[in-house]
Amino acid sequence: MSLSVNGQSQVPPGFRFHPTEEELLHYYLKKKVGYEKIDLDVIRDVDLNKLEPWDIQEKCKIGSTPQNDWYFFSHKDKKYPTGTRTNRATAAGFWKATGRDKIIYSNFKRIGMRKTLVFYKGRAPHGQKSDWIMHEYRLDDTTAVATDTIASNSLGEIVQEEGWVVCRVFKKKNHHKSLDSPSNSTNITSISKTQMLNSNNDGALDQIIQYMGRTCKKESDNINHFNFINSSNNSNIRVSRSPFEATIGGDRFMQLPALESPTFLDQASSSQECYHPIEAQLITDSETNASNVLNSVYQSNGLALSELDRLVASHLNGQTETSKQLACFNDPNFMFCTTNNNSHHDHDLQLSQLRSSANRLYHHSTQDYNSDIDLWNFNQSSSSSSDPLCHVSNSSV
Amino acid sequence: MGDNNVNLPPGFRFYPTDEELVVHFLQRKAARLPCHPDIIPDLNLYPYDPWDLDGKALSGGSQWYYFSRRTSTRMSANGFWQPLGIDEPIVTSNSDRKVGMKKYLVFYLGEAPMGIKTNWIMHEYRLSDTASSSSSRSSKKKTATKDASKWVLCRVFEDNDGSQGSLCDNDQELSCLDEVFLSLDDDFDEINYPN
Repeated sequence: MSLSVNGQSQVPPGFRFHPTEEELLHYYLKKKVGYEKIDLDVIRDVDLNKLEPWDIQEKCKIGSTPQNDWYFFSHKDKKYPTGTRTNRATAAGFWKATGRDKIIYSNFKRIGMRKTLVFYKGRAPHGQKSDWIMHEYRLDDTTAVATDTIASNSLGEIVQEEGWVVCRVFKKKNHHKSLDSPSNSTNITSISKTQMLNSNNDGALDQIIQYMGRTCKKESDNINHFNFINSSNNSNIRVSRSPFEATIGGDRFMQLPALESPTFLDQASSSQECYHPIEAQLITDSETNASNVLNSVYQSNGLALSELDRLVASHLNGQTETSKQLACFNDPNFMFCTTNNNSHHDHDLQLSQLRSSANRLYHHSTQDYNSDIDLWNFNQSSSSSSDPLCHVSNSSV
Repeated sequence: MGDNNVNLPPGFRFYPTDEELVVHFLQRKAARLPCHPDIIPDLNLYPYDPWDLDGKALSGGSQWYYFSRRTSTRMSANGFWQPLGIDEPIVTSNSDRKVGMKKYLVFYLGEAPMGIKTNWIMHEYRLSDTASSSSSRSSKKKTATKDASKWVLCRVFEDNDGSQGSLCDNDQELSCLDEVFLSLDDDFDEINYPN
């Protein structure tokens, strides 16, 4: 069966364009830069500067099936003739890069990079952040030359065009379940999600705890096959897809990811030995809500694992100032310190030291930037090269 | 990932919504209308262990799809499927009309009630009673309803990571760090732009 995709006929029911990152780079973008013909007009060329994100879904739709993400080729346009920065402004706003670029691997070989961008309405620096996200994939210069599938002209010279990227645009999901989402969570979790959606701030904490408790319970059932998969493609921690904001103890969680699907992709399987005892202990020893909250955050928020270790330790030691400790995570300054520190933490630290450090951390981190000193002192005093956590804080960015 | 006999460019996968499974496949099957493409096979009752479905059922990513008959004993060679709690209604996205029901099941090795739980999950779709009876004529109502409700459509997958069978084998959604950076952006703006 052959079909024309962007033209007359349709993709058969149930089929969607859902390419892997490898397919995007190795098949589509490679053909694009190599001037190879792509059989079907699946991915269109667009001028990013003339296309608002809300128009993309019409322009880039494939067939008539509902889509959650859209794909296009874009040619990078330089902001200044002499510079290397890319102009990603549109009439209504601009795309702003966020985070660091992620390396894309294929069979353990690096093939390209992925940049994450957010669309802001208005003009910098007063743009208003939207829910539109773009993943911009580019090939490594070296891969294009090193591989044998690139196009060459009659003289055997390598012909390829610089500046093409392939982009995937999607709207950041709220934790409300989408009808289009083919892989759904269980009924129980969707019910509790609905409860949360319908609730106001009153009793939100109770609901969150309830929600987390249920999730934890489910996960504790699955604890035997809570796998730490040896990742072949990336070293990132894949966590959830839908962040939710919630009110707890008067503070806001920072975009805490949803808890339904925590998956740790680790290169080092040794981390299993490290995490499991703590996790199991939490679930079996203390069924309190506080520990469930801690445990949930611990499982789902891969970023702050090292800090959470400390919190968990202090909790096990009888410390129950959960809301206080959680407030640490609301502080952007705190988070930033955590992500950038290259120190290692030792799990065998004295619990009393952990507890006091966690408290110190909380009290100081909310004040000013000088509070970093305490954090650093703590890290340095407790550094250990054997800690499997080090690759989490180092390589997952 | 070969998606059977549908010849589509790389990147296309069988990734159906609940609604599509019920409306495009199950309703047509029950009404004996031809399915185009006819890709979901009819495996009688529940004879296969979930790990034996490969090659027999339609594979979409790491999930398998097949038709079966409605029964209360879902036994295979080495185990059985145990339902999990409540069923979920499937409604159409444009009219909120209830078209079917979705049941969640877990595969157990051995014999009930002593089986060993596995991480194989099944979503079993059936037509809702109203949906099947509304499409039947009054004189043949009883037989038609009975006929339509005997089919179920099964989606089976191994829930290795608690992700409920997500097809995203590479993290295409926002990673945790992306989320953090997204939330930090506003603060950076304030810092970076003193003007």
